[in-house]
Amino acid sequence: MTTAELLADDPIWLILIKVVGIFAFLVVMTLFMINWERKVVARMQQRPGPNRVGPNGWLQSLADGLKLAFKEDIRPVLADKWVFFLAPVISCIPAFVAFSVIPIGGEVSIFGERTALQLVDLPVGVLVVLACSSVGVYGIVLSGWASGSPYPLLGALRSAAQVISYEIAMGLSIVGVVMFSHSMSTSDIVKAQGNLWFVVLLFPSFAIYVISMVGETNRAPFDLPEAESELVGGFHTEYSSLKFALFFLAEYVNMVTVSALASTLFLGGYQTPFGLGSLWSGFDNGWFGLVWFVAKTLFFLFVFIWLRGTLPRMRYDQFMRLGWKVLVPISLVWIVAVALVRALNNSGEFSQQQFLIILGVVLGVLVLLSLLLPDRKVEEDPNAVPITGGGFPVPPLDLEVPKAPTRRTPVVANLPKEPVAVTASKEASDGDV
Amino acid sequence: MLQPYLPLVFMFLLAGAFALFSVTAAPYIGPRRYNRAKLDAYECGIEPSPAPIVGGGRMPVAYYLTAMLFILFDIEMVFLYPFAVSADKLGLFGLVEIALFVATVGFAYAYVWRRGGLDWN
Amino acid sequence: MTFLAQVELIKPPEIEYSAIAPVLIVLGAACVSVLFEAFLPKHQRWAAQVVLTMLTFIGAGTALGLYAGAETTTAQGITTLSGAVAVDRPVIFLWVTLLLLGFGSILLIADRSVEPGGAFVADAAVRPGTVQDRAQATRTGMQTEVFPLTLFALAGMMVFVAANDLLTMFIALEVLSLPLYLMCGLARRRRLLSQEAAVKYFLLGAFASAFFLYGLALLYGYAGSVKLADIATATAGSDKSDTLLFAGFGLLVVGLLFKASVGPFHAWTPDVYQGAPTPITAFMAACTKVAAFGGILRVLTVAFERTNWEWRGVLWGVAVASMVIGAVLGLTQTDVKRMVAYSSVAHAGFLLIGSISLTEQGLSGTLFYLLAYGFTTIAVFGVISLVRNADGEATHLSQWAGLAKRSPVLAGVFTFLLLALAGIPLTSGFVGKFVVFAAAIQDGLAPLVVVALVASAVAAFFYLRVIVLMYFSEPAPDGPTVTVPGAFTTIAITVGAAVTLVLGVWPSFALDWAGAGGFIF
Repeated sequence: MTTAELLADDPIWLILIKVVGIFAFLVVMTLFMINWERKVVARMQQRPGPNRVGPNGWLQSLADGLKLAFKEDIRPVLADKWVFFLAPVISCIPAFVAFSVIPIGGEVSIFGERTALQLVDLPVGVLVVLACSSVGVYGIVLSGWASGSPYPLLGALRSAAQVISYEIAMGLSIVGVVMFSHSMSTSDIVKAQGNLWFVVLLFPSFAIYVISMVGETNRAPFDLPEAESELVGGFHTEYSSLKFALFFLAEYVNMVTVSALASTLFLGGYQTPFGLGSLWSGFDNGWFGLVWFVAKTLFFLFVFIWLRGTLPRMRYDQFMRLGWKVLVPISLVWIVAVALVRALNNSGEFSQQQFLIILGVVLGVLVLLSLLLPDRKVEEDPNAVPITGGGFPVPPLDLEVPKAPTRRTPVVANLPKEPVAVTASKEASDGDV
Repeated sequence: MLQPYLPLVFMFLLAGAFALFSVTAAPYIGPRRYNRAKLDAYECGIEPSPAPIVGGGRMPVAYYLTAMLFILFDIEMVFLYPFAVSADKLGLFGLVEIALFVATVGFAYAYVWRRGGLDWN
Repeated sequence: MTFLAQVELIKPPEIEYSAIAPVLIVLGAACVSVLFEAFLPKHQRWAAQVVLTMLTFIGAGTALGLYAGAETTTAQGITTLSGAVAVDRPVIFLWVTLLLLGFGSILLIADRSVEPGGAFVADAAVRPGTVQDRAQATRTGMQTEVFPLTLFALAGMMVFVAANDLLTMFIALEVLSLPLYLMCGLARRRRLLSQEAAVKYFLLGAFASAFFLYGLALLYGYAGSVKLADIATATAGSDKSDTLLFAGFGLLVVGLLFKASVGPFHAWTPDVYQGAPTPITAFMAACTKVAAFGGILRVLTVAFERTNWEWRGVLWGVAVASMVIGAVLGLTQTDVKRMVAYSSVAHAGFLLIGSISLTEQGLSGTLFYLLAYGFTTIAVFGVISLVRNADGEATHLSQWAGLAKRSPVLAGVFTFLLLALAGIPLTSGFVGKFVVFAAAIQDGLAPLVVVALVASAVAAFFYLRVIVLMYFSEPAPDGPTVTVPGAFTTIAITVGAAVTLVLGVWPSFALDWAGAGGFIF
């Protein structure tokens, strides 16, 4: 019995329980994640972090959330009323919907009803996640546009460009997985990893996915849309109160979703890791699957925090170069290579797993080597016309401090000696010789 | 036929209700203390620029380029997914076709790359 | 992983590579051409592109010749790619026509001597009138992206005339349109007009594509298939609602008529013909018209022949409208390129008469007309590109006054071409009109032919007006000069005029060839 058939006869009450359960899970994960992030980053920076509210400070994010609700809700005069109002909703809804297709546990029985720990299992499951993440961009762009203010607009533009750039790499990395599972349904993908997780089989895909999931969620070191040193807060600069809280919620829910998808696609989802199932068959129980799943997801969430605590923010051009010039070509080559290996394997010559693993290692080494190569100098186009008017005024890079005009020394006869000497020495120290 | 999608609708409704409730309730829960400066666009304390749209309404053209490239590659992805699902059934024929397809997109990609379409300054 | 081996393979469709080789060659060359643009240094690009394009035409022509000359079991034509593409006698005729006309246009496009550095700008997006815009007008390096664009457009046209289902047709329509939209905006002189032309063509073209697609959807709802043959079958055993059929047909045909610039869907034609770089105008006027009418012929003949009693009246009206609009508005034009544009609207009306005849004579007549008209048009635009002053081409009619006194050869050639457009005997235009009208009379469209004859007479007036202006007016003192063309433009004009003459004097071989067979589906 496939998961889809199992889920098809879920009664309405069970569906509602699952919906509420997933919703609560995501909200709790968000509250937990904010706190966890602050604590871990604090530990990395040798400071205590939040430790006042609740046991060990674990209720800090809840308190923050409640506090946000009682803050003034500001809508700038220049803002577009309805779009400004709806943008947080648009960015929040897809974040939750995307999680619906993730299998969070195996087959269980709830109040005597056989079912799987998953809300829906669609034949296009993976596409639902990608589609939702695309729709989420609308929330960001519209919020930036509707604010009627330059910083949010720039942040929104950057964010949109960033998300769509990394969505390409993310989508391409999933293609390899689909080739092995013969299905885009998330539960089928988990089941196809019964023998061997795809992280081993498709390591380049995994690496690309992990990098692009960080880019896709606008997290450090790719958090350029909200680079506070340049753009204040990015697209949500003008938002306050619960509207701001919704953006925050959506961002963290998205993080949870992409982490959950990562464990589903590459780490075997809810399946028991490291052959522990052979030690005690209870590990393979459907409810235990939930534990494994959450553990794997938390691993990825920890990676998010780890990255944030470790890496400085990238420059925008570096970031786009990584996306378009490194991840995309590697993905494309890798997909063709995987397709080739599968076609050869089906003609029945050699072991595909060995081959793929070797290929992955070779490719990884090649990528590392290519990163060492110096960037080729782009030839200057002699016919290029300098564009002005559209860009921003930029001082020339070879700016020299202009020579100060020779000053006429005031000829004052009965001036005391001291101050004159001071002036002269000052000028000398300015380099004006 | 669309019955499997029903739970998605429930999820949509729940998330939507929650979000709508939040944005609607926010002005009523919080305090309201009118202040002209508060309602201006936030520009780190300096006078807000009269035309808030950046660069007199003109965006850097690189964003448009990125958007178009995204569409190009997104469509490539759209074709790669069905191929991936039935890659084994298509056999060698499918392999040749997909290699040709990726190569064709690769030509356009090489052109954009060489002409600096992927560079941000 | 063992279960994989048991998966049964999906059978790939049969592909007759020899039949579609010309299209594959053109498309492949377009891709190589893009790579040339990417990897060759700037100074080598023009030469490389010209050589590549010439080789492409030779290769595609050879492949086509080999296939058509084989005369095997597939003599009357085949369908391939699971019926998506048909290669039959009309398609082969149209492919040859497209390749020949495309070759002529490429010659005009590749010319660098008439306008130093070619007729194209490097940065089409620069705002007209700015410093950058003036700077790029003086550059003499040729911008060569136009070669791959032309090849892509040409390949799209070749697929368009061979498409045997509506979806393939739609994709081909987009492949042929998108490069054209872009190329319209590349004129080196009069940037604002050129950009306006590109935007106008793009917006209206997008509308037309949407119409086409909507019609396609409705027809799919009617027939349950996008294949032309299946639609034809569905119209035979008809217990379904005709609303879907005729709404779908109407929308589909609007999309097609737009591309063929048949009035009243011609609104873009004058502006685009005037604003686009003249070599591109030649390419559009000749090749797009061939492709569009090739598509119209196939759709009408294959899919809707059985229902022709219902729709023929409407297209009858459209043909009349087109001829009247073209002839009457052409009279009022003061710009040569706009005048030729209205003339092309009138010609589209004549071609539509042949297309709705739905007989063998109608088919062969229309095909012949397309061949003849295409060559004449390319030569006309070649000549127009030669009459220049300091601002570029001098297209205002008053500037053409007394041109015969300055350049008798050019005026003579242009006179001959205008007479061909007017349909005077001993030119291909006459033969073309004759065969189309004869076919129409045979099929009972005599009243339409009368209207067409009146329209031809009116149109002849504005062609003659230009001739009179060239021969019997005093040249203006600050009038334009006639540039001595380089080899490419000379060849294009000479061949165009020569074919116009040959087809007028000895049309039988082309007529036989055009009538060699019908559509296969």
